[in-house]
Amino acid sequence: MTPLLRVVIAVGALLPAACALDSAPPARAPMATRPVEPAAPASVAQAPAPGTPPAAKAPPPPQASAVPAKPNPPAPAAAAPAKPRPPASAATAPAKPQAPAPLASAPAPLDLQSLEKRLKDTSAIGVLTKLSLKNQVDDLIGRFRAYHQGARPPTLTDLRPAFDLLLMKVLSLLQDHDPGLARDINASRDAIWAVLTDPRKLAQFA
Amino acid sequence: MHRAVLVIAAACLGASAALAADDPKQRQDLTAVIALQGKPCGEVVSYTVQGDNDFVATCKDGNVYHVHVKDGRVVVEKK
Repeated sequence: MTPLLRVVIAVGALLPAACALDSAPPARAPMATRPVEPAAPASVAQAPAPGTPPAAKAPPPPQASAVPAKPNPPAPAAAAPAKPRPPASAATAPAKPQAPAPLASAPAPLDLQSLEKRLKDTSAIGVLTKLSLKNQVDDLIGRFRAYHQGARPPTLTDLRPAFDLLLMKVLSLLQDHDPGLARDINASRDAIWAVLTDPRKLAQFA
Repeated sequence: MHRAVLVIAAACLGASAALAADDPKQRQDLTAVIALQGKPCGEVVSYTVQGDNDFVATCKDGNVYHVHVKDGRVVVEKK
């Protein structure tokens, strides 16, 4: 053991500590911003923690889904009567309300496959999270298949809260880092539900 | 002289492993996975890599979870 060798070994031992000191600040700096974001998904996902309580949590999600679902159809309906009033003629009134209806329903059809691709490609969700979400989606689709095959423990009343909860998990994960995709998925909520509840559409999509 | 080279190489490997285990994105990913499974955690404050897609995550509330992929499913087990 020459003195030179001892010095080299000492430097080698100190190197990791020095590297750790260098790396620590950048790692903690992002943490200061990160902690706020994970808190949201954590609180959302802690709701299903009990496992079975999705049924107990059912009321909030359906309300959330019912609100966006209902406002869309009523919106054109509410706008329609407003326009026919000015003409005040019985012959032209029914013709005009029908025109805005298709305009309002035009943005509704969404390409679910493109949404699926965007969800796979988004960097807002980590790989493990995506896999975990896929597991939960597959589980839910399995429950829908069982429903379509006649099994009745899962009724549509049981499946709707589970669907809403899973969608809410996805939205809570996306809303901060990919709000556009979150918005589009939320807008296609009814389209996704329609696919799941229709055995033919479900078979085609899967 | 060979021993000195080995020591330095080991030190560098150890340092790079420490860096890899302190990726904020990975911490966030683990936090989201644990939350998705409905397990109490709050936030992952640190983790160690056990292997490919195999982690031990330590949460802010003190819970420690083994997060790994088995048969295409993400499994979160309390340790």
